[in-house]
Amino acid sequence: MNITRRNVLLGATAAAALGPIAARAQTSEVVIGVIYPFSGASAQMGVDAQKSFETALDIINKNHDFDLPLAKGEGLPGLGGAKIRLVFADHQADPQKGRAETERLITQEKVCAVIGTYQSAVAVTVSQICERYQVPFISADNSSPSLHKRGLKFYFRAAPHDEMFSAAMFNFFDAMKKKGTKIDTLALFHEDTIFGTDSANTQLKLASERGYKVISDIKYRSNSPSLSAEVQQLKTANADVLMPSSYTTDGILLVKTMAELGYKPNAIVAQNAGFSEKALYDAVGDKLEGVISRGSFSLDLAAKRPMVGKINAMFKEKSGKDFNDLTSRQFMGLLVMADAINRAKSTDGEKIREALVATDIPGEQTIMPWKRVKFDELGQNNDADPVLLQYIGGKFVTIFPPQAAIAEAVWPMKKNAALQ
Amino acid sequence: MTAETIIQSLASGLLMGLLYGLIAVGLALIFGLMDVVNFAHGEFLMIAMYATFFLFVFFAIDPLLSAPLVAAALFVFGAVVYLLIVRFAVRAKANAGMVQIFSTFGLAIVMRGLAQYFFTPDYRSVTHSWLGGKTVSIAGIYLPVPQLVGALVAIAAFGALYLFINRTDFGRALEATREDAGAVALVGIDKNKVFALGWGIGAALVGLAGAVMAIFFYIYPDVGASFALIAYVTVALGGFGSVFGAFAGGIIVGLVEATTAMLLPPSLKAVGIYAVYLLVVFVRPRGLFGSM
Amino acid sequence: MDTAFAERRRRDLIVACVLAAIAATVPLFVKDVYVQNIMVLTLMWGALSQSWNILSGYCGQISLGHALYFGLGAYTTALLFTKFGVLPWFGMLGGGVISALIAMALGYPCFRLRGHYFVIATIVIAEIGLLLFHNWDWAGAAMGIEIPARGDSWLKFQFPRSKLPYFYFALALACVAWFVTWWLEDSKWGYWWRAVKDNPEAAESLGVDVFNSKMGAAAVSAFLVAIGGSFYAQFVYFIDPESVMGFQFSLLMALPAVLGGIGTLWGPMLGAVILIPLTELTRSYVGGSGRGVDLIVYGGLIIAISLARPQGLIGLFSFKGLAGLFAPKRKEAVR
Repeated sequence: MNITRRNVLLGATAAAALGPIAARAQTSEVVIGVIYPFSGASAQMGVDAQKSFETALDIINKNHDFDLPLAKGEGLPGLGGAKIRLVFADHQADPQKGRAETERLITQEKVCAVIGTYQSAVAVTVSQICERYQVPFISADNSSPSLHKRGLKFYFRAAPHDEMFSAAMFNFFDAMKKKGTKIDTLALFHEDTIFGTDSANTQLKLASERGYKVISDIKYRSNSPSLSAEVQQLKTANADVLMPSSYTTDGILLVKTMAELGYKPNAIVAQNAGFSEKALYDAVGDKLEGVISRGSFSLDLAAKRPMVGKINAMFKEKSGKDFNDLTSRQFMGLLVMADAINRAKSTDGEKIREALVATDIPGEQTIMPWKRVKFDELGQNNDADPVLLQYIGGKFVTIFPPQAAIAEAVWPMKKNAALQ
Repeated sequence: MTAETIIQSLASGLLMGLLYGLIAVGLALIFGLMDVVNFAHGEFLMIAMYATFFLFVFFAIDPLLSAPLVAAALFVFGAVVYLLIVRFAVRAKANAGMVQIFSTFGLAIVMRGLAQYFFTPDYRSVTHSWLGGKTVSIAGIYLPVPQLVGALVAIAAFGALYLFINRTDFGRALEATREDAGAVALVGIDKNKVFALGWGIGAALVGLAGAVMAIFFYIYPDVGASFALIAYVTVALGGFGSVFGAFAGGIIVGLVEATTAMLLPPSLKAVGIYAVYLLVVFVRPRGLFGSM
Repeated sequence: MDTAFAERRRRDLIVACVLAAIAATVPLFVKDVYVQNIMVLTLMWGALSQSWNILSGYCGQISLGHALYFGLGAYTTALLFTKFGVLPWFGMLGGGVISALIAMALGYPCFRLRGHYFVIATIVIAEIGLLLFHNWDWAGAAMGIEIPARGDSWLKFQFPRSKLPYFYFALALACVAWFVTWWLEDSKWGYWWRAVKDNPEAAESLGVDVFNSKMGAAAVSAFLVAIGGSFYAQFVYFIDPESVMGFQFSLLMALPAVLGGIGTLWGPMLGAVILIPLTELTRSYVGGSGRGVDLIVYGGLIIAISLARPQGLIGLFSFKGLAGLFAPKRKEAVR
């Protein structure tokens, strides 16, 4: 097993084994594990995530003039300018493999923190292992609300979860109703894995609390070869708002099938995922004029905070894409973790955890429209305000909440666009 | 549930079913010829879709025009797969059944890996093709043009295949080889040539399906997986060895899928397809039109 | 002839005991949890493949739907524990019994089917099971079930950090599966199965109860696979339909046996010893690239082995020679 010993030979982490004091003085490299799907049906998510983390890494390890934690100067000043090194691991969307890879990252690669995972099911096992080894875990882009409620001490999430996202949608509906828009009935369209199920459950609950009628709740099999029957049911129901929770593949097929069956919904308010992916808009963007998606990132912020545009350009150079909802959260995940390690002045798990608990980054020092990054006792950041974005003229504009909005929502969405 | 919904669902199901039939018929042909189930059939579909996509992106050839090119490319590919892999798998002296399942299954994994390596795992789509997004509406029933054309291609392909098998010398050689590979060798027909041609034609048919699918479906390395199991069930339902069975099986699968989605939560619609398959083979263990 | 066969069986048993004893000492030297994890998985897949081999290898009924029994075992244990506080040991047994009963109930109509019709029936039945669990809210549906970890306990069979208890359980399971195969090989059942596999019509005419011998193989096979599934739930602490009932699990059960030698006593274990470490290591050290190289290596290996050694890799190992070390006197008898 001499491959697995390779990083020990690098010396940096071998020093860490000598004890915390030696580590603090000598660490020239801090290793962080990044665990994503790099093969299988969602491999593209891992590939994009890698580019995003590398962008954040560049900002931390090199000198940049941005008002972000650790941008100025090289490396982590709290650890004598130590550089961060990322180790990427592939979990193939399998909870068992996620476990095994996390154990490998912790015990062999000697990572002092872990970031992941895209799939929520994998986040369950990855966070369990991190808890057992007392290694802090940042759930960068998992939005399942059940994750942070499990009483784990080493679990942190800087980004919003689905309850916050869905609440934003319903706040938006309430606000639109006050202005006299007719929004009474909703149609849910969600895939059958953990993401779609969780999202739909939250939306059902919020709808009944706030007095909206869900007249169609369609759960479909993800990666179905055809969605004609499902779309036909949506068309028959013809609710005021269609609320899809779909990954990219099903999102593309949904929009194409809607056009084929002549279904022109009044409005679409999507639970990101597929609806924030470039691939979806490349494929069917012409049919989506006016679609609304929740998000945690908005390029509109670049007007107020020019660094957002510059960082987006850095990312685009690597990936060929603009930051989206997922990649921006991944970027922030690494930044928040690095900031905590820097303040902990140590690679010790418990010390980093304490630093994470004490995290308080003002919203202006992020690339997000968030108020701040500050974790509650469950490790959730409740000040990560989601935004709603509308796809207009080939790009996204922020329409909600009012303090972040730069435009009024176009409602109903352009009907002609949906057909041809 | 209105009458319109029911008619629309069944119409969509019928169109989809004809496409399932077109995807499956290559599988049925190969099986009928040499008792081999190609477990990489979904991946054949995948590369056909990629071929269509790249012809569209780099040479601006519309999928309708590139369909014959893609079919030709897949023909060569199918024959090569036979000569390089399957030829040896069927020769195996032990566990022939397992060897052919797993060698083609291994091929499926390699093809997915290669697609990921060369094409990246990103999701692709053919945008702005001649037919893409077009739809015709008859009395409130919408029939998407790409699927309509796909259905016509499927019917034409089945007709051509029928004539080919029954009316040409080569078709007769194919049929004879199927019945008795040993005897045909005596009359000077090279078994390997016939089998390679059979694989070529089977792959070319899935190539046609891929070209049509590329118009309205997304493309990525794992896309074949969604269709592979349906293709196997379609062939088995119709009866292994029967080309007409694949055609009928496809239509049944399409209609059952649409009907189940109306009766059960749509996430369970595949259960309807599987249940019908089981019911059919429990009553008729050779499938509907199977000869063996 | 008879004595040679009996002798071979005795040697197999001795070799198995020696190998098991050696395996039991390995964790004393290998402390790395990642490597230990691979060893646990290797033993588990070896045991599962050995169990699969009983129905598909010996009896010749190729099933690509054993994920159903794996999932049933995992779900029975996890549901009984999280909903009713039933200890996993009882859940394990319960899952095994339920799976065996279901295997027989499904076998009743399915064993009339031949060849690919049977294979596809097994696939679609497992898929139906997967879809039903996906939509069964009480059983967690897509959200899955997380088994709460409360510290080391043999009673609850959970050890959050140590791999050793899992290792020894997996080793025991592999030994049991091997021993059951070994024992059945020379029983009335073993002869029936081989007859059914070679030629069911001839077997029938010779008085073999073809139908019941298939049912027996299905029950034993499903029972053992369900124990494996229930172990997996305890080992991973989290299950959801896709991660215990997906089609890939059915394939993973068949692969080691196919590569090692289907219908042989040693094939499944040998296949697992080669395949599982290989897939784990390629994923860990090649998979992070996002370029699918691990898939190319894995798939290429499957093609190469199944074409080059259709009878499995087991033929490469001369167990006669190996066993001869332990029983040198027998050399002539073998000849």
